[in-house]
Amino acid sequence: MLMITRRPGERIMIGDDVSIEIVEVTGSTVRIGITAPRATPVYREELWERVKQENEDAARVDPDRLEGLAPKEKE
Amino acid sequence: MPQTLESSRFGTLEIADRAVIEFPAGLIGVGGRRFALLTRQEDSAFRWLHELDGSDLALPVTDPFAFFPDYELQVADADAARIGLDDPAAAEVYAIVRAADSLEDFSVNLLAPILIHDGMGHQVINEAPRAPVRVPLLAGLAERAA
Repeated sequence: MLMITRRPGERIMIGDDVSIEIVEVTGSTVRIGITAPRATPVYREELWERVKQENEDAARVDPDRLEGLAPKEKE
Repeated sequence: MPQTLESSRFGTLEIADRAVIEFPAGLIGVGGRRFALLTRQEDSAFRWLHELDGSDLALPVTDPFAFFPDYELQVADADAARIGLDDPAAAEVYAIVRAADSLEDFSVNLLAPILIHDGMGHQVINEAPRAPVRVPLLAGLAERAA
């Protein structure tokens, strides 16, 4: 892993399009500003991890099990 | 020109061009760029979001409003802009289902629904309160019945 020391107000570039600014450091909390292209989503890691896990679990399902139990949908 | 989908779950299917949904950012953590919504049984509450480029990735989805009549969806302005959607209400909304041995144990992801609009799809983070990543599928109906 690349380790970089930065001070508040300084930035890191990831490629040409993503910039990360250290906005403020207060005790153990760091505020970060991120500028990324529209097509690049930005997530808090723990949130990303939870959604990824749900997506992976959902994808493991056997369709026969699902459809056998499916309730009727009212239109 | 329709394309042929070879699916381990569904066999060989013809997918019409208009059924193809582009996901520029893929699904969170699992990728995929082109999907189609498949209906396996006409009367089912579930459909399948199936990847089309050979990964065999498929996730069951449902209409969250059918199970959670009070479901709220709030999309951050930045997310709405990213997906080119002025009005999230204009999109079709699907929630990903996590199946289990019995329907009572099914859960659904209200935190990260899929929005589909104009042939484009996006999995977004719902910023509304009370939108858990894993909630029993029938919880919303049970609450209403109580």
